[in-house]
Amino acid sequence: MSTETDRIAAGQLLDSLYLDMFHLIEAHTQSRIDIERTNSSGAILLARTKFQQGGQAISTAQIPTENSAEFNALCRVVSVAEKKWAEISVERHAVDKEKGYMEPLHWFSVLPPLSLRNAMDKFKKCIEIVAESTNVQRELSAVLSGIDRLRRSVALQ
Amino acid sequence: MALHSAIKGKLISVIGDEDTCVGFLLGGVGEINKNRHPNFMVVDKNTAVSEIEDCFKRFLKRDDIDIILINQTYAELIRHVIDAHTSPVPAVLEIPSKDHPYDASKDSILRRARGMFNPEDLVR
Repeated sequence: MSTETDRIAAGQLLDSLYLDMFHLIEAHTQSRIDIERTNSSGAILLARTKFQQGGQAISTAQIPTENSAEFNALCRVVSVAEKKWAEISVERHAVDKEKGYMEPLHWFSVLPPLSLRNAMDKFKKCIEIVAESTNVQRELSAVLSGIDRLRRSVALQ
Repeated sequence: MALHSAIKGKLISVIGDEDTCVGFLLGGVGEINKNRHPNFMVVDKNTAVSEIEDCFKRFLKRDDIDIILINQTYAELIRHVIDAHTSPVPAVLEIPSKDHPYDASKDSILRRARGMFNPEDLVR
């Protein structure tokens, strides 16, 4: 009797996890579409800048390499709670050359055109979506692991 | 110069084509640490698959990286390494690039989810 009750409870929990999984898959796919859309808008603005400033104005030749001086990222992810992989959000640091926080726009141009500034805004937005997408992906991964464990335990009963 | 001491938070790293790297670096994710190790890699047509794989493994080992962004087209080249990474930290996000739109059927986590219904799909 107890085993039968356990099986029913496990089945209900499995149903609930599958439902969560479908919602998370939908959210995951939507976030990738949002990343794609924002990324494309940014890429179009970068292309416009290249068209206006010349092909080599925005390229890997301008970005720092291993031989460049060390500098800090302006944008980092922080955990909302003190767990190993709790929900994350993006935190931005103000530009401060003395502390190693450089303005990325100035790698490409001293007087950055409007299209480049707009492209930067698009990629900043994209980073926010990336953080949200990471939260969804981790939750989905945890749900998948839960389903896997539960299926194994049900199979053993 | 110890610029990196006591900085709160973790990094987002990028492995991608020129536009992807330039874009995310413009967004402010780029960093070169005191060992002169960047958290980004620009992949072009001359980059060997082994270089992408080595860079990805290097990023996996770094404890200051929380998210690895990789263009899905390059993720496909090192799929076995990405599939072997099951830990939630660092999270590996496959993102579309200018030339290759996002394909949900190739995404590691969605393939894992699909395997919950049809385990044969995982053995390919």
